[in-house]
Amino acid sequence: MTTNTSMTSAIQKWSRRFFMAAAGSLAISAAAGMPAFAQDAEWQKVIEAGKKEGKLILYTALVGQPSTKQIAAAFTKEYGIEVEILEARASEIRERVRVEQAAGRFAADVMFTSEGQTMLYDKEDKSVDPLPVTPNSQKIGDKFKLKVPMASVMTIPYGIMINTGLVKPADEPKSWKDIADPKWQGKILSDDPRAIGAGYLWFFSTYDKIGEDYVKKVASQKLVFTRDQRESQRRTARGEYSIYMPVIMTDFSDLKGLPVKFIIPEEGVPYVLYGNVMLKKAPHPNAAKLYLDFMQGPVVQKIYAGLGYGPVLPGMTEGLPADVKAISEAKLYGTTDTTRQNEMLAKSKDIFK
Amino acid sequence: MTIIHNRPLDDIAETAPTLAGNAFTRAFSGGSLWRLIGMLVLILILGFLTIYPLAMLLYGSLHSTPPGMAGEFNLNGYRSIMTTQNLIVLANTIGISLAKTIPSLTIAVFLAWIVARTDTPFRGTLEVLITLPFFIPPILTAMAWGMLANPQVGVINMVWRWATGATDPLVNIYSYGGVIWHMCQYSIPFLFLFMVDAFRAMDPSLEESSRMCGASRWTTFRKITLLLMLPVLTSSFMLSFIKGIETFESALFFGLPAGIKVITTDIYESINHRATPDYQYATSLSFAIMGLMFLLVIWQWWMLRGKSFQTVTGKGFRPSVMELGPWRWVTFAFCVLFFFITVVLPIGQLMLGSFFRFFGFYTYDMLTLEHYRAVFANSEFWRAVRNTMVLGLLGATATMALGAIVAYISVRTRWRGRNLIDSMAWLPWMMPGMVLGVGFLWAFAMLPGPIPIYGTIWALLLAYIALGTPVSVRVMTGAYHQLSYDLEECSRVHGATWAQTMWRIMVALAWPAFAVGWVLTFFGIMRELSASILLYSVGSETLAVVLMKLWANGNAEQVSVIGLMMMLLVIVFRWVQLSFIKARISKL
Repeated sequence: MTTNTSMTSAIQKWSRRFFMAAAGSLAISAAAGMPAFAQDAEWQKVIEAGKKEGKLILYTALVGQPSTKQIAAAFTKEYGIEVEILEARASEIRERVRVEQAAGRFAADVMFTSEGQTMLYDKEDKSVDPLPVTPNSQKIGDKFKLKVPMASVMTIPYGIMINTGLVKPADEPKSWKDIADPKWQGKILSDDPRAIGAGYLWFFSTYDKIGEDYVKKVASQKLVFTRDQRESQRRTARGEYSIYMPVIMTDFSDLKGLPVKFIIPEEGVPYVLYGNVMLKKAPHPNAAKLYLDFMQGPVVQKIYAGLGYGPVLPGMTEGLPADVKAISEAKLYGTTDTTRQNEMLAKSKDIFK
Repeated sequence: MTIIHNRPLDDIAETAPTLAGNAFTRAFSGGSLWRLIGMLVLILILGFLTIYPLAMLLYGSLHSTPPGMAGEFNLNGYRSIMTTQNLIVLANTIGISLAKTIPSLTIAVFLAWIVARTDTPFRGTLEVLITLPFFIPPILTAMAWGMLANPQVGVINMVWRWATGATDPLVNIYSYGGVIWHMCQYSIPFLFLFMVDAFRAMDPSLEESSRMCGASRWTTFRKITLLLMLPVLTSSFMLSFIKGIETFESALFFGLPAGIKVITTDIYESINHRATPDYQYATSLSFAIMGLMFLLVIWQWWMLRGKSFQTVTGKGFRPSVMELGPWRWVTFAFCVLFFFITVVLPIGQLMLGSFFRFFGFYTYDMLTLEHYRAVFANSEFWRAVRNTMVLGLLGATATMALGAIVAYISVRTRWRGRNLIDSMAWLPWMMPGMVLGVGFLWAFAMLPGPIPIYGTIWALLLAYIALGTPVSVRVMTGAYHQLSYDLEECSRVHGATWAQTMWRIMVALAWPAFAVGWVLTFFGIMRELSASILLYSVGSETLAVVLMKLWANGNAEQVSVIGLMMMLLVIVFRWVQLSFIKARISKL
């Protein structure tokens, strides 16, 4: 009996091992060849379902950009899914999403916003779903695969703008460090670094990378503060100030014909990373997945690269005009970190009284 | 102080006979039960429009998190606003608001008197022209003044330097003076519009009697004209002063570079420019300000109680103008100067700029019509125009109707609850727009699911009615204060029903004020952004939202094109309205 028992258990052990091995090899073979097929089939189902949903509600914090509509039209052309767009500034649209969800009104599918805001949506409001894995999501640059549930799409680069009538070519600032030169005292118009925005982005990245002494030196330049990005560019162009910083580099094409020059600083461009999040209980979840994927695909990536934004998919800047290419490919210098925001805002308020 | 003797109000309201008619007529004219129901309905409507969103904000100020999020009740918001820094900012804000309200009111009174009470030439045309800046979005006039009066290359300073050889600038818009000036651009036309019809409805026999008794023109103006205008003047002062405390565009645009801080920029920052919007702080600060403002309302009640300001009576009302002789050219010159500085200079810039590729670069090769083409070809713009027109027409009419009813009850009856509805109607004016916008968002989104308001065009309409009510009630209150009770009685004695009396006397005689209120409310709706941006839904964009998008994307020239079109619309509206007023007055 004893022998029998031991034999049976031996067989059982063996068969379990065999089964495991078999399952393992099957899994390996699946990972090698089948999966693409399986995944394709899965994705095909998403496409079918998305087309059936027929509609996508997009909220965006990137206000007034004609590219949003252009992309929506391309998406509709590709999948036949209509896109409805609601635009509002970051804090307004975030509060709308939060209140809508708290009241059980799940109106929006996708939110186009920044990495910093995504962290707040995720950690504080808990209004976003985990990211789906889509075909294009695996192809983007590793640097843009984030911990927060945002499907990265593009970076907005910030640099320096000068008035060419007031600044001689020999005097042009070439780097962030040059801004601290005393010759610019009283001649710099700056986005306010004491509030969340472009000025603060510059402060955050240069404080971290160059140091407090540098920032203090710039603070002693008698900067004049503003909070209106576009109007400030015009004011500089009209000759009120020699330098405006930090400027959204992609605006260069809108100002062609004015006596201004956009400079990519030697150190690199502070940037804001934008992307899509899937909102909780999205009414059109499959259309949302398709949109997330589409935004990371070559069609949209080329649209953004063509406007000077930094694409997250490699190889999208081929064939662009030299000036656009330079901006689109500019070295990324640094961005803000939401977890340190209170500390850094306090620091900025202290330095730029 | 009582200038015309009248029977006590109680007599009139309490002894009114019960009349037949429809439910509405009965509700406001007849038995006390119907009246009670009528009042309750009115209180419910006003409660929903004003108390409910404010209650949500009050919750926000007393709770560690905004509605819909787990948190706890505490007083941290109120504690955090009690800082010396905030006190200084508050004092600064009050100072700025006084510094703009007093000169604005003085100039507006003077202009209203010139236009309505004197024989100054072209006063009809001037009446339309001098109010134009009020109807242009503030961001546009701010940009125009930035171009005109910046110390480096501002047009005015360039001309000054060229003419005098001076090196220092003449004016600097980025200063306290600049902030106040930009606010005046809006408050002078607003106050003028608000007051001009009260001046028009004045009985000149009172002024004439004063002159016959030997008083000088100046004494007559001071002791008769101004005193008779007390309800309108105090209302104007309060509306303007409170708005001055809440305005933030001017301070943000011109004050920030000069380090000028006001309360609303602080609130704006706490919502828009902190790591996480601090609604508890923003709402607490707003309620603290609101408490202070309410003291002003109490002061006005105290000033006006028990006095009568009736100028439109049954005894030969004959509005006529004062003949100024050669002085009329002085008043004319004043109006023209005012028109030149506040209208021609900034709006000229906008008009000129709209035909060039970029504002401020006026060279031949930059001439273009592309901004006009872009606006006309923008389908979103046309959709927004449609939405805004519907909302404006419906909203302004509903707001004025509500305002007229509230004003009628609070001024001309002794019904219980009249003070309550009058103060309820003040509330939305005392909350900064951007905070009240959040209040509407919370209020409408948190309504039970089956009530389909949030996410529809109704949310916008209701918010606009609430926002417009304070002005509509003030405008109509001023007008009703001027109508004598004998007119109403006379009509009733002659057998007219309550409704006929309302229509023939209270509406017909007060309608110029109604029309002005309507225009103010209509354009208020057209410009409203704070609540619109939080309540609009896909497809229900308003013009202000489209303007904001264009502005955010750097299309200042297209924004100007739209601003100028809005101004054209005002000219048409005002022209039609004033022609009607003239036709009516000539009939009287």
